[in-house]
Amino acid sequence: MQNKLPLYIVLSLLLLLILATAALYMGVYEFEKHSFFEIFKALINNDNSIPESDKFVLMDLRLPRIVMAILIGSALSVSGTCLQGMFKNPLASPDLIGITSGAILFGAISIVLGSHIKPYIPEVFHFSMLSIAAFLGALLTMTIVYRISTSNGKTNVVVMLLSGVAITAMAFATTGFLIYLSKEEELRDLTFWNLGSLGGATWTKNAILAVVIIIAFSLLITKGKALNAMMLGERDAQHLGIPVEKIKKRIIILTALLVGTCVAFSGNIGFVGLIVPYILRLIFKSNYHIILPMSAIFGSILLLTADTISRTIAAPSEIPIGILTAFMGAPIFIAILIRSKKSM
Amino acid sequence: MLEACKISYAHKKFSILENIDVSVNYGELLVIVGPNGAGKSTLLSMLANEMKHGDEPIMFKKKTFEEWDQKELPLHKAKFSQQNSNDIPLTVTDVVMMGRYPYFNSVPHQTDLDAVTKSMEETDVLSMKDRDYNTLSGGERQRVHLARVLAQLENNIAHKLVFLDEPLNNLDVLHQHRILHTIKNFTELGNTAVVVLHDLNLAAQFADQVLLLKKGKIVSHDKPEKVFTKEIISKVYNFPCTICLNPVNQNPLIIFGT
Repeated sequence: MQNKLPLYIVLSLLLLLILATAALYMGVYEFEKHSFFEIFKALINNDNSIPESDKFVLMDLRLPRIVMAILIGSALSVSGTCLQGMFKNPLASPDLIGITSGAILFGAISIVLGSHIKPYIPEVFHFSMLSIAAFLGALLTMTIVYRISTSNGKTNVVVMLLSGVAITAMAFATTGFLIYLSKEEELRDLTFWNLGSLGGATWTKNAILAVVIIIAFSLLITKGKALNAMMLGERDAQHLGIPVEKIKKRIIILTALLVGTCVAFSGNIGFVGLIVPYILRLIFKSNYHIILPMSAIFGSILLLTADTISRTIAAPSEIPIGILTAFMGAPIFIAILIRSKKSM
Repeated sequence: MLEACKISYAHKKFSILENIDVSVNYGELLVIVGPNGAGKSTLLSMLANEMKHGDEPIMFKKKTFEEWDQKELPLHKAKFSQQNSNDIPLTVTDVVMMGRYPYFNSVPHQTDLDAVTKSMEETDVLSMKDRDYNTLSGGERQRVHLARVLAQLENNIAHKLVFLDEPLNNLDVLHQHRILHTIKNFTELGNTAVVVLHDLNLAAQFADQVLLLKKGKIVSHDKPEKVFTKEIISKVYNFPCTICLNPVNQNPLIIFGT
């Protein structure tokens, strides 16, 4: 099975490419008769054979949004897979254990309180302020949840999920309170947080996301063997030469970074980190050596599909993407619960 | 090859091990025996560097574990633990292949595949190589993990060390003997094994040295025929016993009850 991994990767990348191309054509705005090849050629040559509106929709609306769906889907589902490896449980995903909520809480605070200091700092840092706050929130909640639910390398699943519920309730209450305090413009930002959307995609955001993802993935995606070995128990993994503590720290910091950045740019898109590993496990069992790199691609496929549906199904308006992922995720959540009823 | 001085361990002020000195030589099969709660598994964990021990370092091949290159160490020593974990949703081959993780980066080499097949033959699990680990019985799982540990030490390095914590639990007679013969062959090549066993007769038959523990202290550490005497065993186990010569292999034979 391990030898076929490159083949699976190439095939699923092809699928992603086909879907991305299809998604370019879908949407409210209809391109004039030109093919994309012609549009791109015109852009490169900078001639005026193509209408401005075509260029704008393609380069400033549709393409950045598709790229963002690919990046965020990938980041969320890899964080889910890594967390599941670390907690040794298929229910550990950033939203269920409260990490997303922690990021939202800190993000919301920075939106409302940040408006007082915003005029004094340059615009570049507005994004980073939000991202840093979300990252800190994610890191803090992750550390708290891990400390509460794990002792001697064993995770109490019930405690893990319930601490997630507690943190989510806390975040919900605080965001609600902040909504009362906030002004009109902040209110829009806050609502966006809670529903999640890829509508705010820009090339700047994509560039930041891409950098974060490249750093995190290069340190995480090769750790499939280590996560497999950790299923034996942490001591046995250490006998196989796996630096367990180092890897756990790395997972905690990098998933917090990934989730924090995703939340900062797209708000609360739930369940991606649960759905993708679940489907991959059905096909490849729990072999992290395979499902870790595959989840990076299938996360993109899932979120790209969901986003394309969300902006076409009720055209010309858009339904929040979080609704779609929750529709898929909640039944899977229940399915895993039923399956692991005995072991909890 | 392995030297430890003054090992002590206490859990919440309750002393589990007190001032234990152990040394194991090249090519030796040391069996640790003792009644429940004697600290056998704890001692094994300490020797295998799983827990913090006293101030005195444990020397493995004249180096402390901290001085070893952490990438190199798994090729020299391995440990089989009592498996209380549970759920590993992988095939049997995948689990045994974990033993080869110290040897390859992403794709297993041919030597790794060979080592896996060889060790699965050794513990008689080759016939279930494609089965789901979670569908196996306790004894079968035990053998899968033994295969994994054997695969880990399948290399050309001289003087390797293996720790085995009650490897024969749940095994039937055939497999008990098969595993012990495998371990014996391993030590006859100059390697060392430290094994916790419950069955005194198997210990008498296979061990080069026996370490008898009671309540965290060494009662006796010597050749099997010196340790397994009527006085020592009946006192340590607090149960009457008779010891005679095993008519088949001339080892001490311990019969409990009067």
